[in-house]
Amino acid sequence: MAERPGRFAGRIINGVVALCVSGAVLGLLAFGYGPLPALGPALDPGRGAWASAAGGVPPRSQALTLPGLAHPVSVAFTSHGVPSIRAGGQADAFLALGYLHARFRLTEMDLERRLGEGRVAQLAGPAGASSDEFELRLGLLRTAQREWAAMPRSSPAAQALLAYSRGVNDYLAQVRADGQWPSIFALAGVYPRDWTPVDSLVLQGVLTQELDFTTTPLDYALLERSLGPARTMAWFPVLPPRAVPQFPYDTGPYRYRGLAPIAPQASAAMAAAQPAAASGAGPATEPGRAAGTATAAATVLSEISQLPPGLVHRAPDSNAWAANGRAVAGGVAMLAGDPHLPQTIPSIWYQAALSAPGLAVTGVTVPGLPGVLIGHNSHIAWSLTDTQNQATLFYAEQTSPRRPGQFFWRGAWRPMRQVRYTIPVRGAAPVRLTVELTVHGPVLTRAGQTTSVDWMGSIPSPDIATLLAVDQARDFAQFRAALAGWRAPAQNFVYADEHGNIGAISAGYYPIVRHGDPWLPLPGTGAGDVAGVIPYRAVPQVYDPPGHVVVTANQRPAGPSYPYYLGTTADFFDPGYRAGQIGALLRGRPRLAPGAFAAIQLNVTDALARRIVPRLLAALHGHPLSAPERAAASLLDGWDGSMTATSAAAALWWTFWGDYLAAVFGPWWRAAKVPVHLDRPGLAVSAQQFSLDQVLEGWTVADPGNRAFTAPGGPRRTAHEVMRSAFGTAVAHLAARLGGPPGTWAWGRLHTRRFPSITHAPGLAYGPRASGGDAWTIDAADGGLTSHAGPTWRMIVSWTGRGSAAAQGVYPGGQSENPASVWYSDQMADWWNGRYLPMPPATGYAAGPIRWHLSPGEG
Amino acid sequence: MADPRKLGKRGAYRFGRLGAPPAPRAPWPAAHYPSFAPRRRGPVGAWLLASLAGAAIVAAGALAGWWFLPFLAGLAAGLAVRFGRLRLRTALAAAVAVAAAGWGAALAWLALRDGLPEVAVARSIAALAGLPASAVAAIAVTLLVAVVQAAAGLWLGRALAPGHG
Repeated sequence: MAERPGRFAGRIINGVVALCVSGAVLGLLAFGYGPLPALGPALDPGRGAWASAAGGVPPRSQALTLPGLAHPVSVAFTSHGVPSIRAGGQADAFLALGYLHARFRLTEMDLERRLGEGRVAQLAGPAGASSDEFELRLGLLRTAQREWAAMPRSSPAAQALLAYSRGVNDYLAQVRADGQWPSIFALAGVYPRDWTPVDSLVLQGVLTQELDFTTTPLDYALLERSLGPARTMAWFPVLPPRAVPQFPYDTGPYRYRGLAPIAPQASAAMAAAQPAAASGAGPATEPGRAAGTATAAATVLSEISQLPPGLVHRAPDSNAWAANGRAVAGGVAMLAGDPHLPQTIPSIWYQAALSAPGLAVTGVTVPGLPGVLIGHNSHIAWSLTDTQNQATLFYAEQTSPRRPGQFFWRGAWRPMRQVRYTIPVRGAAPVRLTVELTVHGPVLTRAGQTTSVDWMGSIPSPDIATLLAVDQARDFAQFRAALAGWRAPAQNFVYADEHGNIGAISAGYYPIVRHGDPWLPLPGTGAGDVAGVIPYRAVPQVYDPPGHVVVTANQRPAGPSYPYYLGTTADFFDPGYRAGQIGALLRGRPRLAPGAFAAIQLNVTDALARRIVPRLLAALHGHPLSAPERAAASLLDGWDGSMTATSAAAALWWTFWGDYLAAVFGPWWRAAKVPVHLDRPGLAVSAQQFSLDQVLEGWTVADPGNRAFTAPGGPRRTAHEVMRSAFGTAVAHLAARLGGPPGTWAWGRLHTRRFPSITHAPGLAYGPRASGGDAWTIDAADGGLTSHAGPTWRMIVSWTGRGSAAAQGVYPGGQSENPASVWYSDQMADWWNGRYLPMPPATGYAAGPIRWHLSPGEG
Repeated sequence: MADPRKLGKRGAYRFGRLGAPPAPRAPWPAAHYPSFAPRRRGPVGAWLLASLAGAAIVAAGALAGWWFLPFLAGLAAGLAVRFGRLRLRTALAAAVAVAAAGWGAALAWLALRDGLPEVAVARSIAALAGLPASAVAAIAVTLLVAVVQAAAGLWLGRALAPGHG
């Protein structure tokens, strides 16, 4: 029977629609659309994101063939996955390290590389574009490319970088063949390209940025505009109040030794500074105070607020100390180091030991970089803390609409150099970016006032060469010589050796300007340019101090009579709370053993609390208090300042201090309309503002009648009156938030630690967990009530004789970044509970249950 | 009155039956197969066998990276509906089962044979995808991708096959 025409048409339509829908479904699954990834291959059980399960299986002993090796290499893993690499040559050792880094931390390495090279949006989509634009403007990639171009290929650093890259690429070739990519790549359908030495140098730049790039001058510009110059400099002074001891490790005497020139490579931008055809005078302005500067500051800060957390340096980091002679058991030397950085999972660190002719070192490495950053070799041990000096200078460039693309510098108009980038964006059109460079550095904004940045991290710094030399140093002379070339980030390198010597050097570039206030945006016309840096022989340093102890904890490394500018109180120098506490504990008992060092690293005593709480109790004494206030005050009475998670006094103290700061400075901020919304961490009144903490401490201790206690337009107040008021507010806050009697207000109910995933996926974070500590305790917890920064590695090295060291260390997390791996977070419990693990020896071979034999070949 | 032989006989005439002769009967409707109006279900054993074979092929394909096999399985089921005059809902159930069981079997195979931590990976995939970090969520989305393919394939197969009837 013939089909009716209507039915036939319906069948045709049905067929066409089915064809279109099926095509759309298959196309969508095969290629994705916009931000939606290609779910077909991404979720294929055999080859997609599921294939990362293979990386979760604990490695077993095996033989591998790696192209590029000159000789066989042995790798032994401890039960926690810490490898000891034994190679016949240093290049082979670095190749093996590159392979291991890629095998266990490929996601971390690629994400960091993307961050520095402005390629986040290629993986993450349009949300990553603002970060890419900023990083390409700032120029980590340009710096890395210049550094690699200038590096002799026969130098040890270049050889190490090339071998390391080969090792990473050996793993990439392997994973390209078996498809066992980490999940994030399979889900996005974007895969890592081959590794190059420039990528390692970009990673070095990312680390430098995290430790060294600040926006303090922009904050100062906004504070000056709102609070006025006098109050700004009174409340954010260059030097801390005398009443607040800073405990510098280099106590002098100091000598002014002139300035050293900046390395010639730093002036690459100078090529742009040739005068244009016509010259002329620029109008004289005072850029730091100009209205346009505030607008520019607001614009740049707004852009920076879009960056992933941690890329702008905002907090002090790290403790490191050494003791010798009578201060330590055995009389040789001991060193402790615990760098405080953003606590992520996986950690920034990958622990390893490398052994090859001329190289025997153990400690923590950074995935993406060859060499051990913190650890010990057969002769010396070292650790790092951040120096906190001001390394970022902003310039208000003189421009004119009549001279587009030019800036006025040293009496002439000069052309800006332009660099163009195309930023690939997953699921969207590429973003085109043109970066303009003046003699000072990249232009960050043209809004209000053309503003450029001169950052010491933009100067190629031979950090890899320095680290490799430190890894192989045998004594303090070699250690000190190795660090002479270090430029950024400026670091306090703490030292202890097999002969019982200790020391510290604050190596790096400390820029000194010709004229003007470097804590404000400087005039770009030449007067405020960097004249040079502090000569290496004049940077803070000490060797075998008579007290047998050297302590660095991000405090000012030198005293107030030091003849060079280091930075202001707003540059995140620790106010001496940790350094003072460590020093007191070290000097309190002679003959300290490693266990005592560990106890110090785990100490959670808040030195500020110990100074202020007695004054608070004195202020409360004799005044009528409510029943909860009386109960709360009794908790503080006799409290030792210990910020343990179970302490109710700790919760009271922290809440009180925040309310005290708010009671004193809040009215001034509101009256002056400080634009806190533009940069909350840098402008808001909080305990994270170390300048305000120190100033208020100083007033409370030595100047309780300071006029700042009286709110603008309000009745006269003293420190005691404001403290009583703030105490009442704190008790009310805690009662409302936690309820119950004050004795139940445990600090851990308020304060937690959380370890975010490097992927920023909330579901892969560790925590939050109730935690002790605060920003000023030796066992630091930075970041407020949900802390996300603190000790990322705890290490203690005890020298017991020539070539003989007992070393232990632990870091939160594990060696593998794969959440399915047993090595993902297996060290977390040890770290959390204050336990340490023996470090593999620098020489020899760890007695590990898993062994790999790597052979040269073609895979 | 349907039977002329009853003419004049008792009881042959009833009220209401006398009237106009019945209208001419409309022609018997042509064979018509609207959706969800199947001819037959087909032998259960054959369905089971075909589904098992299909799931095995889909699973093997998934392990080899052939993520599109659930679509082909659905396509085959769609063609079978047409050519085999099979019931649509039975074919749809079979195609969905083949797709889901195939990919599920591939995941199970990797977990059981190779000892891969698929549950932990599932949690990780879910978290990276912005879902709650639950293994069930990632497994459900994965199987859904297979099922959607199979359904699309079935529709296409049934629509493109020449009609019968």
